[in-house]
Amino acid sequence: MRERAWGWNPSGRRRWGILALWLLHVLWVVMGRGPATRWQNLLGVLSRPSQALSGHLESWKHQRAQRIGNHQAAAIEIQNLRQRVEYLQKTAIADAQKNSEAEEAIRLLGLKRALPLETQGARIIANLRNAPFGGMVLDQGADLRLVQDQGVICPEGVVGRVWSVTFQQASVLPLDSFNASTGVMLARSRATGVLQGVGPGKAEIRYIGRQEVVQVGEPVFTSGLDRVFPRGLLVGYVSAVKPRDLELNLEVTIAAPLDRVHLVLLLPPKPPIQVQPPSTPPAQLPVRGGK
Amino acid sequence: MNSQPTSTSFRLVLFVLLNLGLIYHAAPWPMVQAVLNTFLVLALAPEFRSLLIGGFWAALAGWVLEGTLRAYPHLGGTALGNLTTTLIAGWALIQWPPSERKAFLGRLAALALLHTVLVHGAVRIACGPHAWGWGWLVALATVPLWGRLAFKLHRPLHRR
Repeated sequence: MRERAWGWNPSGRRRWGILALWLLHVLWVVMGRGPATRWQNLLGVLSRPSQALSGHLESWKHQRAQRIGNHQAAAIEIQNLRQRVEYLQKTAIADAQKNSEAEEAIRLLGLKRALPLETQGARIIANLRNAPFGGMVLDQGADLRLVQDQGVICPEGVVGRVWSVTFQQASVLPLDSFNASTGVMLARSRATGVLQGVGPGKAEIRYIGRQEVVQVGEPVFTSGLDRVFPRGLLVGYVSAVKPRDLELNLEVTIAAPLDRVHLVLLLPPKPPIQVQPPSTPPAQLPVRGGK
Repeated sequence: MNSQPTSTSFRLVLFVLLNLGLIYHAAPWPMVQAVLNTFLVLALAPEFRSLLIGGFWAALAGWVLEGTLRAYPHLGGTALGNLTTTLIAGWALIQWPPSERKAFLGRLAALALLHTVLVHGAVRIACGPHAWGWGWLVALATVPLWGRLAFKLHRPLHRR
């Protein structure tokens, strides 16, 4: 039986293959230059969705890479900042005491300039106020001509007086000591009395008559009558008024931070009762951290 | 031609590959390329047992030639011309097996002319008007040269 020329047999398949090969070439050539433009345009139109998708994908990848880069840069920056902050914190902790003392020294210098007296600076090297009959120990003594009963003040107010002097050190009797007595006066009535210590940061004023009108919160200044302090130095504030039989019992909160004071000024021995303030204001001192 | 042994087909494939390589490397000399291309289309490709395989090689030669020319904006014209000419030449070989050398050379010359016209027509369709060059004339003039080889290939085995 003879095979069909264009049937599905080896010879027919070859014919179909030849025809397909030839038609593909014809189609390719015919779709050439002119129609190819339209064909390419059509392909371009058909490929727009995929191009848009690809564009979005590329944009997303670029943005993600940028975000990752920014994130990494930010992480590095944060790490650097953390290290910097840690370093600064350590430095601040290490320098805190120095800074505090420097600020205290600045304020003390301002006080020294404001006072028209020959004052002398000193450092408190030990604060034994909490011990029975304890006091404060200064780093200066007889070698720098310190004597007993020199007044000791700080920028916040009166601290106490020099109690005893050795060659290189001196002890201070603070205002709140039980055996400390200081001549004081009330700011409003100008009534004078004697301040006696009663405990940490507290003192009482004795010998104020009942007829005096005293308000809580009223400032208390030195009277200058004890010849240890000149008149007008801040001692504290009245915290309670208790009338007694013959006098007023005034409780006073001492203004000077006796627990925290490190630098003090020593007044000259037996200063005048009244000192005149300087005629010109003291020069403006530089303030730490200020512009 | 359908009764060739396998070794002959293998040798033919080697010849075709060699010719393709020559076409590829003869790009600086378009006239030589034209002769080699015509020889492959009219002498080597129709000799394959299957016209499909022969047409494939002829078309491939066209693609290689146009690819090496790098002058056409749209390729494929030469491949179509080669394929069509090979199919015609193969059909002619089946219908009228070669017996006389002169007649065969005359047939090859006619087919070379037809090949030229077909190729240029297809290239014109694909790319538009273009220069014809002198390659076709050289191919036609060298028909006696490569036609003898083709005659030896296409003759019946008992006459080779």
